[in-house]
Amino acid sequence: MLRALLALITVYSMLVTAADARDECYSCHGKKGMRGYVDAVSYEQSVHGRIACAKCHLDISGYPHAKALKVNCGICHFLGREGAPTEQAEQYKLSVHGRAALAGNSAAPKCQTCHGSHYIYRSTDSRSNVSREKIPALCSSCHSKEFGDYRASIHGREFLEKKNLVAANCFDCHLEHLTPKPGDDQFKLTLIRQCGTCHAEEMNTYQKTYHGKVARLGYANIAKCSDCHGAHNILPPSDPESRLSRKNIVATCRACHAKATAGFTKYYAHAEESNRAKYPVLFYTYLFMTALLIGVFAFFFLHTFLWAFRALKERLEKKGGG
Amino acid sequence: MTELKRFNAYHRILHVAMAVSFIGLVASGMPIKYAQAPWAVWLMKFLGGYQSAALIHRVCAVITFGYFAAHIGYVVYDIAVVRKFKFNPLGPESMVPWFKDLEDIYANFLWFFGKGPRPQLDQWTYWEKFDYWAVFWGVGMIGVSGLFLWFPEFFGRFLPGWAFNIATVIHSDEALLAAGFIFTIHFFNTHLRPEKFPMDPVIFTGRLSLRELEQERPLEYQRLVAENRLEHYKTGPQPNWITDTGILFGFAVVLIGFALLILIVLGQFFY
Repeated sequence: MLRALLALITVYSMLVTAADARDECYSCHGKKGMRGYVDAVSYEQSVHGRIACAKCHLDISGYPHAKALKVNCGICHFLGREGAPTEQAEQYKLSVHGRAALAGNSAAPKCQTCHGSHYIYRSTDSRSNVSREKIPALCSSCHSKEFGDYRASIHGREFLEKKNLVAANCFDCHLEHLTPKPGDDQFKLTLIRQCGTCHAEEMNTYQKTYHGKVARLGYANIAKCSDCHGAHNILPPSDPESRLSRKNIVATCRACHAKATAGFTKYYAHAEESNRAKYPVLFYTYLFMTALLIGVFAFFFLHTFLWAFRALKERLEKKGGG
Repeated sequence: MTELKRFNAYHRILHVAMAVSFIGLVASGMPIKYAQAPWAVWLMKFLGGYQSAALIHRVCAVITFGYFAAHIGYVVYDIAVVRKFKFNPLGPESMVPWFKDLEDIYANFLWFFGKGPRPQLDQWTYWEKFDYWAVFWGVGMIGVSGLFLWFPEFFGRFLPGWAFNIATVIHSDEALLAAGFIFTIHFFNTHLRPEKFPMDPVIFTGRLSLRELEQERPLEYQRLVAENRLEHYKTGPQPNWITDTGILFGFAVVLIGFALLILIVLGQFFY
């Protein structure tokens, strides 16, 4: 009898609409100034706007209630669940942030640290905490030193001052959910392709050099984009503060080539042998070498094929005759 | 069966050093040249990573400079001490290409087209001379550009850095020329052509038969007979173990060469 009653109550509570349940919460939390105030309009326009409070606040079941625990987004955003994006949560678990959080580091960012709690909008929505233009400021709340470097860099100046949102921000290199450990070799190598998404030509020409080829084979202890250009503090070589400026380039090369000289730095780290206007000597060397190879191979392959053909023919004739 | 000496132990040892170091250079260099090919990643791993491959490359480069210098030393010794400067650099015993070689090329092409007899060849054929001088050209070009790339900081004191870009193009393309040539044309001309197939062991045993000399190098044979020097070159066969080891080594090198050739062709044309 008691079990039947309990079942009835459960079914009833499931039938109660989300709105009804929320109204109950809003009776306190809808009041401005109240602890845990939620702006009903903003919440209902958010991506979670149709979800009842208790679906996330599992620890709250009535009134009065204890201080709410931190919501675990993983109760919906887990791999295999339909109707909620899940891949980001899986990536987060592998990221440097996620690993630190799982290891119990309370300073490590959790979902809400970046996305906020009640007012979660799509990242393309300007109200979103993680809309593109807000990202550098968001990361700066923990990574203030990196933000300072970034703000002075060519990417940062374009992004923050000129509002050129195409310019690289934190996530373009560090990947928002996957955020690898900065020292990780695989991450360093992946970064080359990340740079290449905007700087495609530079990536292609780099990959034709010894540096680029070794990196492409999977070895990170060779000059990669950031080793020469810098990372957060990237500046165009024309800027005297750039790692590649006339003033700094020798020191930059010396990070690996200890005895590099000013002459040494005239190496074309992005050479294109096909560009006659820019690299004439290289172009004509390449042209000469190509002609030499084609000439030698053409003559000797012809020689070899004719020889093989004649020799086989004579053998067959000899056999046939004998 | 009477055999005649063609190569002495010094020549044969240098050729083995050359073959071993050449294979080492190609195997450790091509994964860099064709870094975009998937095979390059596993070959590099197989060699123990790029720094280990670079070490192999440099050891083999030192062997190359070594046999090259050893050969130059031999030539000087042979001409100055053994022959006491009684040596005609344009004669039949010289490696210097001369008009006879042009005539032989012409005659050989006529024979290819069935329009004439095979040329009467002497001690060194024109394709052997080409192989020989190709090593000078190759070691010179690849060796000098390789030294630039090995010691960029030193050469950067005298040369602008873009000299290393030039050196890279020369090093890489010359290497393709050398490997492509050795693994196809040299292998065919010396080992795979129908008269020699599958292998001419002369460079490993140092000996060829009287019949081979008579048929393939008639001018040399006639000269030796006329000058009464044939007896001087006559010798018994090598002990079996030398012949067998030589042939085994030769086969191994040819097979490795073909394997590398396949990788080069894949890298050059398919990735």
